[in-house]
Amino acid sequence: MSAEITAAGAAANGAGVIHDIGYQAYDGPRLGRAQIMLALGWHSLKSAFGIGRGAKAKIVPVFTFAVMCAPAVVNAIQLAVTGTHTRVVPYDTYRPVALRVLVLLIFLAAQAPEVVSRDLRSHVLPLYFARPIRRADYPLAKLAAFVAACLVLIEVPLLVLYVGTVTQVRTGSAVWSETRALIPGLLLGAAWAAVAAALGLLFASFSSRRAYATGSVAIFFFLTWTLALLLTSIGEHAFGPGLQQPSALARLAGLISPFTALDGMRQWLGGTSPGPVPDPGGYGALYGIAVLAFLLAGAGGLLLRYRKVGVA
Amino acid sequence: MTAQQGQAIQPAPELTAPRPPAADAVIRAEALTKRYGAVTALDKLTVAVPAGITGLVGANGAGKSTLVKILLGLLEPSDGRAAVLDQDCARAGQRIRTLTGYMPEHDCLPADVTATEFVTHLGRMSGLPPTAAKERAADSLRHVGLYEERYRQIGTYSTGMKQRVKLAQALVGDPKLLLLDEPTNGLDPAGRSAMLELVERIGNVFGISILVASHLLGEVEQICDHLVAIEAGKLLRADTVRSVTRASRALVIEVEEGTELLRDELLRRGLAVAVEGRGVTVGLAGDQTFDVVRDAVAELGLPLNRMEQRRHRLEELFSGDQPAAGVTSGGAGDVR
Ligand SMILES: Nc1ncnc2c1ncn2[C@@H]1O[C@H](COP(=O)(O)OP(=O)(O)OP(=O)(O)O)[C@@H](O)[C@H]1O
Ligand SMILES: [Mg+2]
Repeated sequence: MSAEITAAGAAANGAGVIHDIGYQAYDGPRLGRAQIMLALGWHSLKSAFGIGRGAKAKIVPVFTFAVMCAPAVVNAIQLAVTGTHTRVVPYDTYRPVALRVLVLLIFLAAQAPEVVSRDLRSHVLPLYFARPIRRADYPLAKLAAFVAACLVLIEVPLLVLYVGTVTQVRTGSAVWSETRALIPGLLLGAAWAAVAAALGLLFASFSSRRAYATGSVAIFFFLTWTLALLLTSIGEHAFGPGLQQPSALARLAGLISPFTALDGMRQWLGGTSPGPVPDPGGYGALYGIAVLAFLLAGAGGLLLRYRKVGVA
Repeated sequence: MTAQQGQAIQPAPELTAPRPPAADAVIRAEALTKRYGAVTALDKLTVAVPAGITGLVGANGAGKSTLVKILLGLLEPSDGRAAVLDQDCARAGQRIRTLTGYMPEHDCLPADVTATEFVTHLGRMSGLPPTAAKERAADSLRHVGLYEERYRQIGTYSTGMKQRVKLAQALVGDPKLLLLDEPTNGLDPAGRSAMLELVERIGNVFGISILVASHLLGEVEQICDHLVAIEAGKLLRADTVRSVTRASRALVIEVEEGTELLRDELLRRGLAVAVEGRGVTVGLAGDQTFDVVRDAVAELGLPLNRMEQRRHRLEELFSGDQPAAGVTSGGAGDVR
């Protein structure tokens, strides 16, 4: 049937610049809103790792992922070589903590703009909003995708750590205790991913310029982290070395940065490995609230941001 | 002919207000109002757009883009109602956006993806399954005349090619209605006519209803069946292209001397006249106008320099009034 139309079209269009190949209506299935969001999320997740982009776009994701896996790989090698059965990296803090923070910071600063700023820069949003989704669906799909990306970055190394350890330990009870130690690590990792992704996207979404977006994400996470550690150390030392318990300042300083807040929450929930901030003691619940507040501020801010964004 | 003159002379409100909306209207607006703070972009606009190709014309800032965005549910009206394909814009935005393709007036393309990837992705966003999105993206890009180039990054495209990509992404979801906002934006004359030809084919051969916004009447009247003219957010006129343009030609007469005399004589003979510089402009209602003018010039014995037919400026075209003094001056206002 299209051949006939083609012939007619070609005859009608003597210039031949545009060949009429005959229009075909689409009467196949149409996906609903949820499936469109899923498609958008999958597309965004891939772009968070530079998939579907050039080789240059994959440098940061591959590098950060490799560095994040390094402690787990070192653990596996150490256990295999020395024949010991004692894991050298904890699941809940994934030491060195500064490495995890730094790597995550680089990933957020480089990839959050990839997920949101590009669309702002090219003014493509009206095309999304002109499609059968709602205004909030776009930021929600982006957020879900970026949380997933951060989950990959945080949880896969934990799984490598787990596999590297359980292949060395022989007894069933040792495997069981490894597994029991892994689960809180995974849950905490999920909290890290959610908080980091929400705040990272929020800061990136304020600028369509990649450099500014990267800068604001990096500055926010780095500044708050450094400040929290600084105040903590002031609080620990300012009152003299004789003081046995950390001061209130040291116990509260971690609240101002997302990553230290996450660590305070970990200790409040019963984590015993030493972390970047001291045990918050009686202030523990505040850390739980702070993490929740960071998460809600990031996600809520993102939704508000896209309610306001212009369609012109 | 006389009937048409009568129609043309009527002021706009009587022309449009009592007309009941067509039963098969693809777009309907009722007292649609949009305010941006102190600016009223749409002012109680009531109009019905029938199937086919319709031009939405108006000067810069008339409210064309605002109307299009409200129809898509991208903007909320301050007051009034609108419906697209019998779906209420306020309540059934999602359904409307399934059935409608939108081409924005501004740049909306990322530079660093290929046209194929981009249109395929937006096909997915229109609700097409993966394979269908790929096929329809390829088809849409072919329909707009992009072949091998579609594997190149959009950043390397000319303005004309970019406009085609914008059109292709509007077409990819198999819409029943296309809303095209200034599709010839930024194109040179050749690019403009190619784009217009494309729009015309999509409307007439593909059978998709189209609302095409433009500030150039001369451009859209070539391809449209209907025209909707707005000014400052108000409806000036909505009618078929044929009746709008037929009733709206003007005749410019230039005489060596005696311009005043000629004006008075033409007025006496019942024509609406305006003086501009050395010329006299009369509304051209039909062939008999030529006869009246020729008789008047002959009777006065004036040396005739020039007598030519010309179009009015957009605003007066649609106001339906005869030209007032001064408005047709200088030819710069000609739409063609
Ligand atoms: N976001 C906004 N805030 C304030 N005023 C606005 C906004 N958008 C549009 N306007 C005003 O509303 C009026 C109509 O604008 P609109 O863009 O709909 O006109 P248009 O007919 O599309 O013009 P153009 O031919 O320039 O595209 C203009 O006066 C414009 O300045
Ligand atoms: Mg406009």
